[in-house]
Amino acid sequence: MSLGDFLGVQTWVGTISWGAPIALAALGGTFSERTGVVNIAMEGLMLISAFFSVLGAWALHNAWLGLGVGVVSAMLFALLFAWGAIRFKADQIILGMAINTLAMGLTGYLLNTIFGYGGTPVNTPQLPTVSIPLLASIPWLGPVLFRQNVLIYALFILLVLSHFLLFHTRLGLRMRAVGEHPQAADAAGINVYRIRYLGVLLSGFFSGLAGAYLSIGALNSFNVNMSNGRGYIALAAMIFGGWTPLGAFGASMLFGFASSIAFNLQGLGIPKDLVLMLPYVATIVALAGVVGRTTAPAADGVPYDPSESS
Amino acid sequence: MQAGAEAGFGPGRPRRRGWRRGAALLALALTVGLAACGGASSGGGGQAQGGQPGGQAKPFKVGLVTDVGGINDRGFNQLAYQGLQRAQSELGVQGTVVQSKQQTDYIPNLTGLAQQGYNLVIAVGFLMQDQVQQVAKEYPQTRFAIIDVGIEGIPNLASAVFKYQEAGYLAGAMAGLIEKERALPGIKGTNKIGIVAGMKIPPVDAYIAGFEAGVSKVAPEVQVILRYANSFDDPAAGRELALAEAAQGAEIIQQAAGNTGTGAIEGAKQAGVYAIGVDMDQNYLAPETVIFSALKKVDTVTFDLIKSAKEGRFQGGINVFDLKSGGVGITKPIAGVPGSIVRQVDELRQQIVDGKIVPPQTLPQ
Repeated sequence: MSLGDFLGVQTWVGTISWGAPIALAALGGTFSERTGVVNIAMEGLMLISAFFSVLGAWALHNAWLGLGVGVVSAMLFALLFAWGAIRFKADQIILGMAINTLAMGLTGYLLNTIFGYGGTPVNTPQLPTVSIPLLASIPWLGPVLFRQNVLIYALFILLVLSHFLLFHTRLGLRMRAVGEHPQAADAAGINVYRIRYLGVLLSGFFSGLAGAYLSIGALNSFNVNMSNGRGYIALAAMIFGGWTPLGAFGASMLFGFASSIAFNLQGLGIPKDLVLMLPYVATIVALAGVVGRTTAPAADGVPYDPSESS
Repeated sequence: MQAGAEAGFGPGRPRRRGWRRGAALLALALTVGLAACGGASSGGGGQAQGGQPGGQAKPFKVGLVTDVGGINDRGFNQLAYQGLQRAQSELGVQGTVVQSKQQTDYIPNLTGLAQQGYNLVIAVGFLMQDQVQQVAKEYPQTRFAIIDVGIEGIPNLASAVFKYQEAGYLAGAMAGLIEKERALPGIKGTNKIGIVAGMKIPPVDAYIAGFEAGVSKVAPEVQVILRYANSFDDPAAGRELALAEAAQGAEIIQQAAGNTGTGAIEGAKQAGVYAIGVDMDQNYLAPETVIFSALKKVDTVTFDLIKSAKEGRFQGGINVFDLKSGGVGITKPIAGVPGSIVRQVDELRQQIVDGKIVPPQTLPQ
């Protein structure tokens, strides 16, 4: 085991596959927060989708249909969250935690009820890993970028689309306006509630993809609590990324890199507990604003009440 | 300052705040309700099997608390649950499973069962060792048992420990020989074997210590790459570790990480290398990949514990299960493994049973 090994191709392949589910959820979180809703429920939405993706893929004998079932289920729970947070102006953090607790209880209960103690079936279909001809044979770059699960390609495409949507379309401008100053946006004729519902639903969509990646992308099984805090890390990545899609992606990949080397450094004689802390240390450093302070959308986390003037 | 903040918190908008709290409580209640259903369903099954209600004898009630791996971990917890199920059908006890979602659930789960008058409460796993001692002292009338850690001195607490290093030794020897002799198709002879470990806790350490000793006994030239995921319930992390070890040249990967390890088996399969299962026969997870599995007879031990408690033979203290008593072992390998290797491992097995080889229990610091 040398230093060369640990910075080898596998470290970078690992960076992408560690970072991908975090990046997917973080992209969605950007939309939610840009419209003014703090979505701490991403953790639970991932878990919901992870379970229903496996259930769908198994019941319908098709991983793609499973992906659809998973994403739709995450969006339904996002809708529930949005309903409480927007329509009833509930505290978004408490409601988000409630959704997370609900997701954990519900998926655990359904896992035992539907599949029994043997867990999800081993022959559950899995989303394919695709090698892109020619590109995949480039040394280093090939295995890192062009021999990946389909959801990782989807991530790259959605990253570009998200950036375009948020910063180069009228809808994106409206989203940002609603997150910064909903009263003004309302006065300008924008339906604040509708835009916020859209933001949270997009977050559900992306968290759904992230959950499906974990259960039927990287693996083909569901386990209790398999999201394992990635939704919270995604929240941190989004903040670190300055509430922008590109920033959120970059920060997610940084966490991916920290996780990847945390595993690879273990062979170098550095105490393992120290290196396994790396991703979390990175999170704290990022959130403490050491790398560069970022500013949240002004109305982030504040329920919109038209009767209140600001 | 603090008092001011508190005072400022309350009176602002009482009605809305009430609603919010109500919503959160409703969601929590729903979740707890669901969790309770999960536990009750198995208890109900037990009752149905355990004889007619209305009989004179009160049913013998057994509660099982799983650790965070949950009963679907395809290993340790699942085996304990199978032991309980067997006790339900064969002994007519009434069983309930409570699954811990996080470490902070252990005390409430153990306490809850004790308060409900369960005759025997079983804590599955080393991770609950402090909690079970505390609760056992608080409820001296309830019998407790814990699996995978030895605790003495509490009369109402029985503990079962496994000499898992003995199974690890055999697994290491088998893996070492297969690697050294390139005994399976696709093994090129890199002389590297990987271990994907869960947390660094004594039962895992014991297995790995035995494994490494077994490898170096038969194939000192083979290097063992050991990595920890620091979790037992993150299969995606297990997969990453297996892929990383395979990329470093490991051609056989031993998982010792519970549910994290099922991901390691999947990772080994994806990387096109071999794997070794742990705790139960895990060949069914990937029949071409899993050469064999180490066995820890948690199911038998759980059943025996329940049986002795029901028959009034419960005894506090430590019970040891080893190769000799059949408490640990390894499964038969897949067909491709040469008989000469199987015979060599069998000889080592006999030497351990005879006490001629004593595999180490702890890892060198």
